[in-house]
Amino acid sequence: MTKQKRPMLKKMLGTGLVLVTIAAGIYWYVATEKFSDTKDRKAEFTVKAIDFIREFANNDSAANRKYADKIITVNGTVSEIEAADTTVNIKFIDTASSAYAIFAFQEQHLAEAKSVKVGDSVSIKGSCSGGVFSEILGTEYITFKRCALNK
Amino acid sequence: MIGSVFAQKKTTTSATVSFDATTSLDSGPKADNKTVIAAIDTQTGSVQFEANVKNFTFANPTMQGHFNGDKWLNSNEFPTFTFKGNIVDKSSVNFAQDGSYKTEAEGILSVKGIEKKVKVPGTIVVKGGNISVSANFSIALADYGISGVPVDAGKVAKQPKITVSAELK
Repeated sequence: MTKQKRPMLKKMLGTGLVLVTIAAGIYWYVATEKFSDTKDRKAEFTVKAIDFIREFANNDSAANRKYADKIITVNGTVSEIEAADTTVNIKFIDTASSAYAIFAFQEQHLAEAKSVKVGDSVSIKGSCSGGVFSEILGTEYITFKRCALNK
Repeated sequence: MIGSVFAQKKTTTSATVSFDATTSLDSGPKADNKTVIAAIDTQTGSVQFEANVKNFTFANPTMQGHFNGDKWLNSNEFPTFTFKGNIVDKSSVNFAQDGSYKTEAEGILSVKGIEKKVKVPGTIVVKGGNISVSANFSIALADYGISGVPVDAGKVAKQPKITVSAELK
């Protein structure tokens, strides 16, 4: 009877060890996972800046469902460059409404962002965090994170 | 007319707010948001901040997902953090004269739709008509209905440190 139990115990211990190893591997992968370079990501939409901003200003619920949490390429003429901590953000502004889209750059693309000037035609790819109406400014604004310039 | 020279609202759309909930068990839960809107009215002493929650940037995709998820910040339902307050002692800051001023702002911090009164120590630097603001403080996650296994297990700090910096023009 005892002899029959031991192979079963060994099998259970072996299975347990395999499961623990798999769980540890998954935990390690999840804990150390990093966002990839946005430059290497495929954009789900490519849009013109002013049309994009107006889409949010007209109906931000619909625009958020369409664009939020997605990689988007936005093409337009730079309206403003604003100091942000030790780096800069780039903005496209719809002068008709003051609504704007603002782009914060990924660590490895900060230097290229600093080389951009107001009036430059640029193409920026980034992760869209969606649009929100600002009570402070009284206008719609759309934010992007982890951006890169398309060259 | 003379008094109105400095009676104006200074703003930025690129203030930075950093969130650090790291512990000795986990160095991952920290993020920053560099697209925060900030405004100071130099006449009334009112101070306002507004951040799109989804634009907090984590290094780790899973942590960012949890941060925005239903159990944590639920950013789909509560898309912004806001602070609306005033400089406690407005006479402690002379916006008409270059200098560095230690001060405090008191107001309502709204996180996940829950509003709490907070008092935040900070520094205001006035230079050539521009204003820089910096502040460091902590919030208790429990005050805003945020809890869970990672907090109980010591992997997320119960009182994350918040750092604010802004250059207003």
